[in-house]
Amino acid sequence: MRRSWKSLRSRLLMILAVIGPGFIAGEGGNDAGGIWTYSVAGAQFGYSLLWAMIPATAALIVVQEMAARMGAVTGKGLSDLIREEFGFRITFFLMIALVVTNFANVTAEFAGVASSLELFGVSRYIVVPVAAAAVWLLVVQGTYGTVEKIFLTASAFYVCYIVAGLLARPDWLAAARATFTRPAATGIRDYGYVYMLIGLVGTTISPWMQFYLQASVVEKGVTVRQYRASRWDVIIGSIFAAIVAWFIIVACAATLHTGGIGITSAAEAAQALRPLAGEYAYLLFAAGLLNASLFAATVLPITTAYTVCEGLGFESGLDKKFHEAPAFYWLYTLLIVTGAGVLLLPNFPMIRMMVLSQVVNGIVLPFVLIFMLILTNDRELMGEHVNSRRYNVVAWATVVVMIGLTLTMIVMQR
Amino acid sequence: MSLVALSELIGASVRDPSGAVKGRVREVAVVPQDHATRIAYLIVRTADGERAVPAESLKSCGPTVRASADVGSWEAYTPSDGLLLLKRDLLDQQIIDVHGRKVVRVNDVEIDSTPLNSHVALNVVAVDVGARGAIRRLGRGVIPSFTLRALLEKIPPRVIPWQFVDLIETDPARRVKLKIAYEGLSRLHPADIADIVEDLPPAEREAVFETIDEEVAAETLEEIDPHIQVSIVESLDSNRAADIVEEMDPDAAADLLADLPEARSGEILNEMEPDERQEVSQLLEFGERTAAGRMTTEYIAVPETAVVDDAIEALKMFEGSREALATIYLTGPGHRLVGAVPLVKIAISSPAVQLSLLSEPFLACAPDTPDDEVAALFDKYNLLTLAVVDNDGRIAGIITADDVIAMLRHRH
Repeated sequence: MRRSWKSLRSRLLMILAVIGPGFIAGEGGNDAGGIWTYSVAGAQFGYSLLWAMIPATAALIVVQEMAARMGAVTGKGLSDLIREEFGFRITFFLMIALVVTNFANVTAEFAGVASSLELFGVSRYIVVPVAAAAVWLLVVQGTYGTVEKIFLTASAFYVCYIVAGLLARPDWLAAARATFTRPAATGIRDYGYVYMLIGLVGTTISPWMQFYLQASVVEKGVTVRQYRASRWDVIIGSIFAAIVAWFIIVACAATLHTGGIGITSAAEAAQALRPLAGEYAYLLFAAGLLNASLFAATVLPITTAYTVCEGLGFESGLDKKFHEAPAFYWLYTLLIVTGAGVLLLPNFPMIRMMVLSQVVNGIVLPFVLIFMLILTNDRELMGEHVNSRRYNVVAWATVVVMIGLTLTMIVMQR
Repeated sequence: MSLVALSELIGASVRDPSGAVKGRVREVAVVPQDHATRIAYLIVRTADGERAVPAESLKSCGPTVRASADVGSWEAYTPSDGLLLLKRDLLDQQIIDVHGRKVVRVNDVEIDSTPLNSHVALNVVAVDVGARGAIRRLGRGVIPSFTLRALLEKIPPRVIPWQFVDLIETDPARRVKLKIAYEGLSRLHPADIADIVEDLPPAEREAVFETIDEEVAAETLEEIDPHIQVSIVESLDSNRAADIVEEMDPDAAADLLADLPEARSGEILNEMEPDERQEVSQLLEFGERTAAGRMTTEYIAVPETAVVDDAIEALKMFEGSREALATIYLTGPGHRLVGAVPLVKIAISSPAVQLSLLSEPFLACAPDTPDDEVAALFDKYNLLTLAVVDNDGRIAGIITADDVIAMLRHRH
């Protein structure tokens, strides 16, 4: 009796245990910063950035697969591996860069929370402190597990963008042509275009997602043998995330760009959902943005605290008391308090900040990727599971292109 | 005597007797087969290849190293499995702090350098896991060395003496050569070992379970999160797994095997001793969330005609877990349960007293009693153990209070 019940249950668990990390990390790209970056990209540049989605998706699949594979093969987190293979000093500086980047992302998530509720006329001076306190408690109290399921279910909201995109009657031919043809080289001379391109890649492939993904694969105890299922989780999650992103851009391009509207407020961004929800578009947009922002706001600070403490060898873990793991709790708390706190500065440019955070992601990404590439090609570490040639080509190309774009942007700014 | 940090030593220039720089320190080697803490030689990178410079031919050892022999006499270095290389094997790696009962990462290694005859004796004394080692490595080569030294003096050290350090090595052959036996770890309480093991990556967990004593391994395994339990047992070979599972409480063993893939649990059962195998397979037949699924078949039962002395004999022979000892059961014809005597009463009665005179009114439940009812009985009657009897009144096993506590906690 125990047998039959068990085999059914364990089969179910197998699927549930493996489906998840890759999917969540993929959707992590569509957080507050993501929704805004895609929206602004569509509104400002119409279809002309759509071509970037195909190479970005390929890179996303390759990068996330590398992180998941490393987790399954070594059973260790990314920052642990970097520390063990590259030593203390390099790890220290990488962790500083990561804290700065993730700080910008935390701010973006809380800005997402604030801007979604401002649609209902609730002041950010109330929303932000309440949300920050709620997130802090949620994670520290350990009730996060149940909440994660709610967030995940609510992620179905992204389907709204797909439907809105369909109903907006975009110029399908133009959109398709923009997606599948090589872009005109003239775009690269426009500072705003390059800036947005870096942001677009940075939000699709956020550095913090790789740390999160590898840690969750380790946490779930995925082994090399179960890895095949994990790989599919990563691939499907990445493709779904990319499709959603594509539709956000198309929906915004069709409704906001052709109308000649830029985006300066959440109310305008919400118009992209008008074809679907009519005058209730803002409701839908607010709910979706709120969910995505809160989701990432819960995951991101705690992921950062774990990553940094594990890399630098500080005691970490929610099962520890505050005095047992002070660095861990302080870092976690400070990230939330200051990340949310800066939003309370008068006239804080929330939308600009949300896009900027994704650009910072795009600038830091290649450096994280270089470490991942060295590690996944280390035969002593990965055994037979080292990168294939094709993977190396895609990943190194991403590194080179992203560094190239960053340099171009710096040169143009002069 | 003086202390040298490994991070100062790595990259230090090595001078020959004339004072000329002949190379730089790349590694520091200990040969555990010969001596557990003594540094046998430095591996020095020179213009023509890597050389092993023995500690006996060093005049001083610090930010610069002075050798008492000419470069010509330095032997070429040949890599070997039996060497503990401090930089590669220790620096930035995780170790077990036996005293603090946790897993920590090494920031630096402290080496004691004592002049001995005409050379220096070098010994590993401690690993640095605190801010001091971290800042030394950050500042080295960036901040002037005397400023750095003054700064480091102000930071309270956080070091683990070498005798409390257990290294983790995943390669079994190398583990033998380096004489890693997890002696310190094995002496801890199984619950503490379990906490430590849960903090380790899978390959390292496996290394610990391959090495430590079977009995300790079994007790530790019982304390580990079921999810991790399964992955550890799956990674061990069936033979070793069977040895450990045999030592476990039969009910814990049954729970564990029930969570494994069927083929795997079959393999392990096959490798087990017939007696243990039978007990565990019987338990496997029962529903997990019933009295029978929770019970252990290791308990003490003596005939109702026995006296206190017989009970004490039985206690001496008993090999099961201590929790099961709280009550001694009395059985009549056909192994039917007729009485229960608390251990305390036996302890305070004279050897010739009939056990049946000490027997108290006892409770028992049926094998299919659900978890909730079992917990309610423990609560209501303040039980330490509860007998499980079949339809004919024969005793099948007992449930102990610790199992009930674990069951209640798992629900949250």
